[in-house]
Amino acid sequence: MEEKVTVAAPGAKAADSAIFACLGLGIEFDTPNGPHRVLDAVDLSVAPGEFVSIVGQSGTGKSTLLRILGGLERPAAGSSVRHRGQEVTEPPEGVLMVFQDYRGSLLPWRTVEKNVMLGIEKSTSGAERKERCQEALELVGLADRANDHPWRLSGGMQQRVQIARSLAMRPEVLLMDEPFGALDAMTKEQLQDELLSVHAATGATIVFVTHDIEEAIYLSDRVLVLAGAPARVTEELTIELPRPRDQMRTKELPDYLRLRQTAYTALRGSGAGGH
Amino acid sequence: MATEAVPQPRPARRSRHVRVPLNVSGILFLLGLAAVWQLAMSTGLLTSSFLPEPWEIGKSIGDLTGSGELTSNLWHTVYVTLVGWALAGLIGVAFGLAIGLYSKVWRYSMASTEFLRALPGIAFVPVAVLLYGFSVKMELIVVTYVSIWPVLVNTVHGVRQVTVLHDDVARMLRMSRLERIRRFTIPTTAPYVAVGLQVSLSLSLALALVAEMVGNPTGVGQALIVAQNTFHPEEMFAYVIVIGFVGVLLNWAFVKMIERGFPGTLSLDGEQR
Repeated sequence: MEEKVTVAAPGAKAADSAIFACLGLGIEFDTPNGPHRVLDAVDLSVAPGEFVSIVGQSGTGKSTLLRILGGLERPAAGSSVRHRGQEVTEPPEGVLMVFQDYRGSLLPWRTVEKNVMLGIEKSTSGAERKERCQEALELVGLADRANDHPWRLSGGMQQRVQIARSLAMRPEVLLMDEPFGALDAMTKEQLQDELLSVHAATGATIVFVTHDIEEAIYLSDRVLVLAGAPARVTEELTIELPRPRDQMRTKELPDYLRLRQTAYTALRGSGAGGH
Repeated sequence: MATEAVPQPRPARRSRHVRVPLNVSGILFLLGLAAVWQLAMSTGLLTSSFLPEPWEIGKSIGDLTGSGELTSNLWHTVYVTLVGWALAGLIGVAFGLAIGLYSKVWRYSMASTEFLRALPGIAFVPVAVLLYGFSVKMELIVVTYVSIWPVLVNTVHGVRQVTVLHDDVARMLRMSRLERIRRFTIPTTAPYVAVGLQVSLSLSLALALVAEMVGNPTGVGQALIVAQNTFHPEEMFAYVIVIGFVGVLLNWAFVKMIERGFPGTLSLDGEQR
């Protein structure tokens, strides 16, 4: 269980065609008790169009890993993190991050539409900007709330606005950091399904961090389990459940149940407590 | 750099906005107090050669207005207050932004900022008189110097309210530094600047009076001293009451201006609910 599992990502033929390719990725943070290594020897690759989830217990470094992919954090020396063959030193072209704290990442003084415009104000002119905003808001089902302020919207809607803001920039890759972690179960399922249709409609590559195994399996083509201290990828599950997926039917499939069990065992076996 | 249209109007908030009615009971209470004062003096319950009767004060306000003395003194004081305040606002915001945005500026200037703003501004008045003599320039320097601090300190504080998450969002949206300042820093800081400006406005008026009492012999400050030295308590009270009203009026005008131009700015906690 403890040894590293290396399965080539489906579709990843050459390293350069991969959206992300990490080799021996590690990172440490300075603490009063000396450097603390959070990630060590993480290998992973993400193919174009793929939906990959990273699960792990809280504090394992899932978000840190995502931030490294997004160019917001620098890995330790000796790590290789490549986006389309290029070493990542800053947010790579076409890569956008959706943060868990939707409230904190929206600007309360801007309307929904103006929040969605935020990333394309420089690059587009009036009419095109408006059209792209409208398009993005339609993808998340919020076209009729364009002129509201975020504080008038529910948590789920605010997170949709943040997703729409990324979509307006026509991203190639979405990095999502526990985006539905703070939402209630019903809203969460609804947003999962919307995310799947966004994935289908845009063909974007999605790297999704969550501590919810069922969410990871339901959404993904592949699930990576991150565990240990320092953490590495201890298990890799290829999810071949048919698409489009359905909250009821998919979750009753024997394959789904089997995958769920494997993932739980991987997480349990990996350390303190379980889910 | 064109600034972001800071806090957008909020239709919802505006429709809920209730017109504050004139506080009739509050005003009646004040008039009642004046009546009690008048009664106590008319009946001889209260006697003092330096405490005028309310009707004398009223008459004095009328006389001083009629002679044009009050208007010209008032105009001078208000002029100094507003010009000094505006200068303080510009300097305070400029330095506040520089200190808040650039850690180097912060490191070198914060010690002196903390010292200078803790130093009671009035202590600076004799120095200014000595340096600049009895002039409007001296008055403006005193007013501006003292009024800079609330604006500056609030601006620095406001800039530091931009969260780490906002920085990440800005980086993710590929914003340049200038764009970041325009879209995140300025709107975040604006409410703090407004609060600083509001505090400075009443400070400006106070310091204008002090400068006129101690230094430049003009305006309401000087008129108060003259009334005191010539034993005209009713004139003193007339000026005190009028300048009190001016203070209230200035603050009211400022609040209205901000509400009109930048809705929501003055309610720091009103953003999210």
